[in-house]
Amino acid sequence: MILRISTLVIAVALFFCGPLMRTAHGQQAQTETQAVQVIGLVGLKENTKGRLTVVNGTLRFAFSKGNIEVSAVSIEDVVTGKDSQRVIGGTVGTVASLAAPYGTGSALPLFRKKVDTLTIQYRDADGGLHGAIFTMPRGQADSIKKELVAQGAHTSVPIVADLMKSLRDAREEKR
Amino acid sequence: MRNIFRNALTGFVVLTLCFAGVLRAEAKQPAKMKASAIEVKMIPSDELTLPTEFQISLYENLVEQLQKKAVFTRVYRDGDKNAVSAADLITLECTVVKFKKGNETLRQVTTVAGATSMTLRCEFTDKNGKSLLVRDITGNVRFFGGSLKATYDFAKKAAKVADENFSSGTAGS
Repeated sequence: MILRISTLVIAVALFFCGPLMRTAHGQQAQTETQAVQVIGLVGLKENTKGRLTVVNGTLRFAFSKGNIEVSAVSIEDVVTGKDSQRVIGGTVGTVASLAAPYGTGSALPLFRKKVDTLTIQYRDADGGLHGAIFTMPRGQADSIKKELVAQGAHTSVPIVADLMKSLRDAREEKR
Repeated sequence: MRNIFRNALTGFVVLTLCFAGVLRAEAKQPAKMKASAIEVKMIPSDELTLPTEFQISLYENLVEQLQKKAVFTRVYRDGDKNAVSAADLITLECTVVKFKKGNETLRQVTTVAGATSMTLRCEFTDKNGKSLLVRDITGNVRFFGGSLKATYDFAKKAAKVADENFSSGTAGS
Protein backbone atom coordinates (compact mmCIF):
# COMPACT_ATOMS: atom_id res chain seq x y z
CA MET A 1 0.00 0.00 0.00
CA ILE A 2 2.78 2.40 1.05
CA LEU A 3 4.69 1.45 -2.08
CA ARG A 4 1.68 2.24 -4.24
CA ILE A 5 1.25 5.66 -2.61
CA SER A 6 4.89 6.58 -3.04
CA THR A 7 4.77 5.45 -6.69
CA LEU A 8 1.69 7.60 -7.16
CA VAL A 9 3.42 10.60 -5.52
CA ILE A 10 6.45 10.18 -7.77
CA ALA A 11 4.25 9.87 -10.84
CA VAL A 12 2.31 13.02 -9.93
CA ALA A 13 5.57 14.85 -9.20
CA LEU A 14 7.02 13.77 -12.55
CA PHE A 15 3.83 14.79 -14.31
CA PHE A 16 4.07 18.31 -12.92
CA CYS A 17 7.83 18.63 -13.16
CA GLY A 18 8.05 17.32 -16.72
CA PRO A 19 7.01 20.55 -18.43
CA LEU A 20 9.29 22.53 -16.11
CA MET A 21 12.23 20.37 -17.06
CA ARG A 22 11.41 20.81 -20.69
CA THR A 23 11.33 24.60 -20.19
CA ALA A 24 14.70 24.53 -18.44
CA HIS A 25 16.11 22.44 -21.27
CA GLY A 26 14.57 24.86 -23.75
CA GLN A 27 16.58 27.67 -22.21
CA GLN A 28 19.78 25.86 -23.25
CA ALA A 29 18.79 26.06 -26.90
CA GLN A 30 19.52 29.73 -27.41
CA THR A 31 18.99 32.22 -30.18
CA GLU A 32 21.71 32.27 -32.78
CA THR A 33 22.57 35.35 -34.73
CA GLN A 34 24.95 36.38 -37.45
CA ALA A 35 27.64 38.67 -36.09
CA VAL A 36 30.89 40.36 -36.93
CA GLN A 37 33.67 40.35 -34.39
CA VAL A 38 35.02 43.87 -34.77
CA ILE A 39 37.92 43.52 -32.34
CA GLY A 40 38.99 41.75 -29.17
CA LEU A 41 38.73 37.96 -29.36
CA VAL A 42 42.17 36.44 -28.91
CA GLY A 43 43.63 34.92 -32.07
CA LEU A 44 40.93 36.28 -34.32
CA LYS A 45 41.36 38.85 -37.07
CA GLU A 46 39.40 42.07 -36.97
CA ASN A 47 36.01 42.07 -38.68
CA THR A 48 35.67 38.28 -38.72
CA LYS A 49 32.21 37.12 -39.65
CA GLY A 50 30.53 34.32 -37.76
CA ARG A 51 27.59 33.26 -35.63
CA LEU A 52 27.02 34.23 -32.03
CA THR A 53 25.15 32.08 -29.51
CA VAL A 54 24.80 31.74 -25.79
CA VAL A 55 24.99 28.04 -24.95
CA ASN A 56 25.47 26.30 -21.61
CA GLY A 57 26.74 29.36 -19.83
CA THR A 58 29.14 30.48 -22.55
CA LEU A 59 29.11 33.05 -25.30
CA ARG A 60 30.16 31.16 -28.40
CA PHE A 61 31.44 32.80 -31.58
CA ALA A 62 31.55 30.27 -34.38
CA PHE A 63 33.51 31.28 -37.49
CA SER A 64 34.76 29.48 -40.57
CA LYS A 65 37.86 28.06 -38.87
CA GLY A 66 36.47 27.17 -35.43
CA ASN A 67 34.84 28.43 -32.26
CA ILE A 68 35.83 30.81 -29.52
CA GLU A 69 34.01 30.58 -26.20
CA VAL A 70 33.84 33.03 -23.35
CA SER A 71 32.30 31.91 -20.08
CA ALA A 72 29.32 34.08 -19.12
CA VAL A 73 30.48 34.13 -15.49
CA SER A 74 33.79 35.72 -16.53
CA ILE A 75 32.00 38.60 -18.25
CA GLU A 76 32.26 41.68 -16.06
CA ASP A 77 30.26 43.96 -18.28
CA VAL A 78 27.99 43.53 -21.27
CA VAL A 79 26.65 46.61 -23.00
CA THR A 80 24.55 47.02 -26.12
CA GLY A 81 24.44 49.94 -28.51
CA LYS A 82 23.13 51.10 -31.83
CA ASP A 83 25.21 52.02 -34.84
CA SER A 84 25.08 52.10 -38.59
CA GLN A 85 27.42 50.81 -41.22
CA ARG A 86 27.94 51.26 -44.92
CA VAL A 87 26.03 48.85 -47.13
CA ILE A 88 28.91 48.86 -49.59
CA GLY A 89 31.88 48.99 -47.29
CA GLY A 90 35.51 47.92 -47.17
CA THR A 91 37.87 48.16 -50.11
CA VAL A 92 35.10 47.74 -52.67
CA GLY A 93 33.17 50.67 -51.20
CA THR A 94 36.25 52.85 -51.06
CA VAL A 95 37.34 52.10 -54.62
CA ALA A 96 33.79 52.49 -55.92
CA SER A 97 33.33 55.84 -54.24
CA LEU A 98 36.64 57.05 -55.68
CA ALA A 99 36.18 55.66 -59.15
CA ALA A 100 32.55 56.61 -59.75
CA PRO A 101 32.29 59.35 -62.43
CA TYR A 102 31.42 62.99 -61.78
CA GLY A 103 31.79 62.61 -58.02
CA THR A 104 28.73 60.37 -57.79
CA GLY A 105 30.74 58.07 -55.52
CA SER A 106 30.20 60.53 -52.71
CA ALA A 107 26.61 59.35 -52.52
CA LEU A 108 27.61 55.74 -51.75
CA PRO A 109 28.25 56.28 -48.02
CA LEU A 110 24.68 57.52 -47.72
CA PHE A 111 23.46 53.95 -48.16
CA ARG A 112 23.75 52.63 -44.66
CA LYS A 113 22.11 49.90 -42.62
CA LYS A 114 21.44 50.02 -38.93
CA VAL A 115 23.17 47.50 -36.71
CA ASP A 116 23.32 46.59 -33.05
CA THR A 117 26.60 46.50 -31.18
CA LEU A 118 27.41 44.22 -28.29
CA THR A 119 30.43 45.04 -26.16
CA ILE A 120 31.79 42.71 -23.50
CA GLN A 121 34.57 42.93 -20.94
CA TYR A 122 35.83 39.67 -19.50
CA ARG A 123 38.76 38.24 -17.55
CA ASP A 124 41.00 35.37 -18.67
CA ALA A 125 42.34 32.64 -16.38
CA ASP A 126 45.22 34.92 -15.24
CA GLY A 127 42.87 37.74 -14.40
CA GLY A 128 43.82 39.78 -17.48
CA LEU A 129 41.09 42.04 -18.77
CA HIS A 130 39.86 41.59 -22.33
CA GLY A 131 37.30 43.46 -24.35
CA ALA A 132 35.41 42.46 -27.47
CA ILE A 133 33.04 44.25 -29.80
CA PHE A 134 30.47 42.56 -32.03
CA THR A 135 28.03 43.99 -34.53
CA MET A 136 24.86 42.15 -35.51
CA PRO A 137 21.53 42.72 -37.22
CA ARG A 138 19.25 45.15 -35.50
CA GLY A 139 17.23 43.83 -32.56
CA GLN A 140 19.54 40.92 -31.74
CA ALA A 141 21.93 42.42 -29.20
CA ASP A 142 19.37 42.87 -26.45
CA SER A 143 18.32 39.21 -26.49
CA ILE A 144 21.96 38.04 -26.44
CA LYS A 145 22.61 40.36 -23.51
CA LYS A 146 19.52 39.10 -21.69
CA GLU A 147 20.67 35.50 -22.10
CA LEU A 148 24.19 36.32 -20.96
CA VAL A 149 22.93 38.08 -17.85
CA ALA A 150 20.60 35.14 -17.11
CA GLN A 151 23.60 32.83 -17.25
CA GLY A 152 25.80 34.80 -14.90
CA ALA A 153 27.25 37.76 -16.81
CA HIS A 154 27.32 41.17 -15.18
CA THR A 155 26.22 44.44 -16.69
CA SER A 156 26.62 48.08 -15.78
CA VAL A 157 23.47 49.01 -17.70
CA PRO A 158 20.39 47.16 -16.44
CA ILE A 159 18.25 45.42 -19.06
CA VAL A 160 15.23 47.53 -18.07
CA ALA A 161 17.19 50.67 -18.94
CA ASP A 162 18.05 49.11 -22.31
CA LEU A 163 14.40 48.37 -22.98
CA MET A 164 13.38 51.92 -22.12
CA LYS A 165 16.09 53.24 -24.44
CA SER A 166 14.94 50.97 -27.28
CA LEU A 167 11.36 52.15 -26.83
CA ARG A 168 12.49 55.76 -26.83
CA ASP A 169 14.54 55.19 -30.00
CA ALA A 170 11.60 53.50 -31.72
CA ARG A 171 9.32 56.39 -30.77
CA GLU A 172 11.79 58.94 -32.06
CA GLU A 173 12.13 57.05 -35.32
CA LYS A 174 8.32 57.06 -35.80
CA ARG A 175 8.31 60.86 -35.54
CA MET B 1 96.80 67.72 -60.01
CA ARG B 2 93.99 70.22 -59.65
CA ASN B 3 91.39 67.49 -60.31
CA ILE B 4 92.84 65.25 -57.64
CA PHE B 5 92.70 68.08 -55.14
CA ARG B 6 89.11 68.90 -56.09
CA ASN B 7 88.01 65.23 -55.76
CA ALA B 8 89.72 64.89 -52.42
CA LEU B 9 88.05 68.05 -51.17
CA THR B 10 84.63 66.88 -52.36
CA GLY B 11 85.14 63.50 -50.69
CA PHE B 12 86.19 65.18 -47.48
CA VAL B 13 83.12 67.44 -47.46
CA VAL B 14 80.75 64.54 -48.14
CA LEU B 15 82.31 62.42 -45.41
CA THR B 16 82.17 65.31 -42.94
CA LEU B 17 78.49 65.89 -43.72
CA CYS B 18 77.68 62.21 -43.25
CA PHE B 19 79.56 62.04 -39.97
CA ALA B 20 77.90 65.22 -38.71
CA GLY B 21 74.48 63.80 -39.62
CA VAL B 22 75.12 60.61 -37.67
CA LEU B 23 76.39 62.59 -34.67
CA ARG B 24 73.36 64.87 -34.76
CA ALA B 25 70.95 61.96 -34.93
CA GLU B 26 72.68 60.34 -31.97
CA ALA B 27 72.60 63.57 -29.99
CA LYS B 28 68.89 63.99 -30.72
CA GLN B 29 67.88 60.58 -29.36
CA PRO B 30 67.36 60.67 -25.61
CA ALA B 31 68.62 57.75 -23.55
CA LYS B 32 65.95 55.06 -23.43
CA MET B 33 64.60 53.95 -20.09
CA LYS B 34 64.88 50.27 -19.29
CA ALA B 35 61.64 48.35 -18.96
CA SER B 36 61.12 44.75 -19.94
CA ALA B 37 57.39 44.49 -19.23
CA ILE B 38 54.37 46.75 -19.40
CA GLU B 39 50.92 46.49 -17.91
CA VAL B 40 48.23 48.30 -19.89
CA LYS B 41 45.40 49.61 -17.73
CA MET B 42 41.85 49.83 -19.04
CA ILE B 43 40.95 53.31 -20.18
CA PRO B 44 38.49 54.73 -17.65
CA SER B 45 35.22 55.55 -19.35
CA ASP B 46 32.99 58.37 -18.40
CA GLU B 47 29.77 57.47 -20.18
CA LEU B 48 29.25 61.03 -21.33
CA THR B 49 32.63 61.42 -22.95
CA LEU B 50 33.69 58.02 -24.19
CA PRO B 51 31.32 55.35 -25.51
CA THR B 52 32.06 51.77 -24.43
CA GLU B 53 33.01 50.67 -27.98
CA PHE B 54 35.73 53.31 -28.08
CA GLN B 55 36.96 52.39 -24.60
CA ILE B 56 37.33 48.72 -25.57
CA SER B 57 38.75 49.48 -28.99
CA LEU B 58 41.37 51.83 -27.50
CA TYR B 59 42.44 49.24 -24.96
CA GLU B 60 42.59 46.31 -27.39
CA ASN B 61 44.41 48.30 -30.06
CA LEU B 62 46.89 49.56 -27.49
CA VAL B 63 47.69 46.02 -26.31
CA GLU B 64 47.98 44.81 -29.91
CA GLN B 65 50.23 47.64 -31.09
CA LEU B 66 52.55 47.32 -28.08
CA GLN B 67 52.84 43.59 -28.76
CA LYS B 68 53.54 44.28 -32.44
CA LYS B 69 56.24 46.88 -31.72
CA ALA B 70 57.96 44.37 -29.42
CA VAL B 71 59.51 47.11 -27.31
CA PHE B 72 58.78 45.09 -24.19
CA THR B 73 59.39 41.42 -23.64
CA ARG B 74 55.94 41.04 -22.11
CA VAL B 75 52.74 43.05 -22.46
CA TYR B 76 50.33 42.37 -19.62
CA ARG B 77 46.67 43.15 -19.60
CA ASP B 78 44.95 45.05 -16.81
CA GLY B 79 44.71 42.83 -13.73
CA ASP B 80 47.00 40.04 -14.96
CA LYS B 81 48.32 38.24 -11.86
CA ASN B 82 51.65 37.46 -13.55
CA ALA B 83 52.50 41.16 -13.86
CA VAL B 84 53.25 41.39 -10.13
CA SER B 85 56.32 39.18 -10.43
CA ALA B 86 57.65 40.79 -13.63
CA ALA B 87 60.98 42.57 -13.41
CA ASP B 88 61.27 46.17 -14.70
CA LEU B 89 57.52 46.45 -14.97
CA ILE B 90 56.02 49.75 -15.97
CA THR B 91 52.35 50.66 -16.12
CA LEU B 92 50.58 52.58 -18.83
CA GLU B 93 47.48 54.52 -17.87
CA CYS B 94 45.60 56.60 -20.39
CA THR B 95 42.85 59.07 -19.59
CA VAL B 96 40.65 60.85 -22.07
CA VAL B 97 41.39 64.55 -22.36
CA LYS B 98 39.33 65.31 -25.44
CA PHE B 99 36.90 63.28 -27.51
CA LYS B 100 34.87 64.22 -30.54
CA LYS B 101 32.87 61.52 -32.23
CA GLY B 102 32.67 62.44 -35.89
CA ASN B 103 30.35 61.16 -38.56
CA GLU B 104 31.54 58.66 -41.16
CA THR B 105 28.89 59.64 -43.72
CA LEU B 106 29.65 63.33 -43.38
CA ARG B 107 33.36 62.57 -43.55
CA GLN B 108 33.08 60.72 -46.82
CA VAL B 109 30.55 62.95 -48.50
CA THR B 110 32.14 66.29 -47.64
CA THR B 111 35.78 65.18 -47.11
CA VAL B 112 36.31 68.20 -44.85
CA ALA B 113 33.86 67.69 -41.98
CA GLY B 114 32.96 64.84 -39.65
CA ALA B 115 36.42 63.85 -38.44
CA THR B 116 36.64 61.73 -35.29
CA SER B 117 39.32 62.93 -32.93
CA MET B 118 40.49 61.99 -29.47
CA THR B 119 43.31 63.05 -27.23
CA LEU B 120 44.46 60.88 -24.35
CA ARG B 121 46.96 61.63 -21.65
CA CYS B 122 49.27 58.63 -21.42
CA GLU B 123 51.27 58.21 -18.26
CA PHE B 124 54.00 55.61 -17.89
CA THR B 125 54.76 54.83 -14.25
CA ASP B 126 57.18 52.47 -12.55
CA LYS B 127 56.34 49.82 -9.94
CA ASN B 128 56.39 52.39 -7.14
CA GLY B 129 53.97 54.64 -8.95
CA LYS B 130 56.63 57.16 -9.91
CA SER B 131 55.79 58.91 -13.15
CA LEU B 132 58.36 58.22 -15.88
CA LEU B 133 56.78 59.84 -18.87
CA VAL B 134 53.58 61.76 -19.62
CA ARG B 135 52.45 62.50 -23.15
CA ASP B 136 49.24 63.74 -24.74
CA ILE B 137 48.60 61.62 -27.80
CA THR B 138 45.95 62.31 -30.43
CA GLY B 139 44.25 59.80 -32.66
CA ASN B 140 41.96 60.75 -35.49
CA VAL B 141 40.31 59.58 -38.66
CA ARG B 142 39.71 62.22 -41.28
CA PHE B 143 38.64 60.65 -44.54
CA PHE B 144 38.14 56.92 -44.95
CA GLY B 145 37.13 54.40 -42.34
CA GLY B 146 34.80 54.08 -39.41
CA SER B 147 35.14 56.20 -36.32
CA LEU B 148 36.81 53.35 -34.43
CA LYS B 149 39.82 53.74 -36.74
CA ALA B 150 40.81 56.74 -34.65
CA THR B 151 41.54 54.33 -31.80
CA TYR B 152 43.94 52.41 -34.07
CA ASP B 153 45.66 55.66 -35.02
CA PHE B 154 46.04 56.56 -31.35
CA ALA B 155 47.39 53.12 -30.43
CA LYS B 156 50.00 53.24 -33.19
CA LYS B 157 51.23 56.61 -32.00
CA ALA B 158 51.29 55.48 -28.36
CA ALA B 159 53.33 52.40 -29.27
CA LYS B 160 55.75 54.65 -31.17
CA VAL B 161 56.16 56.87 -28.11
CA ALA B 162 56.90 53.76 -26.04
CA ASP B 163 59.42 52.62 -28.64
CA GLU B 164 61.19 55.98 -28.59
CA ASN B 165 61.48 56.13 -24.82
CA PHE B 166 61.79 52.60 -23.52
CA SER B 167 63.91 49.60 -24.20
CA SER B 168 63.79 46.12 -22.74
CA GLY B 169 67.57 45.96 -22.98
CA THR B 170 67.52 42.75 -25.01
CA ALA B 171 68.81 42.40 -28.54
CA GLY B 172 66.24 42.86 -31.24
CA SER B 173 64.00 45.25 -29.33
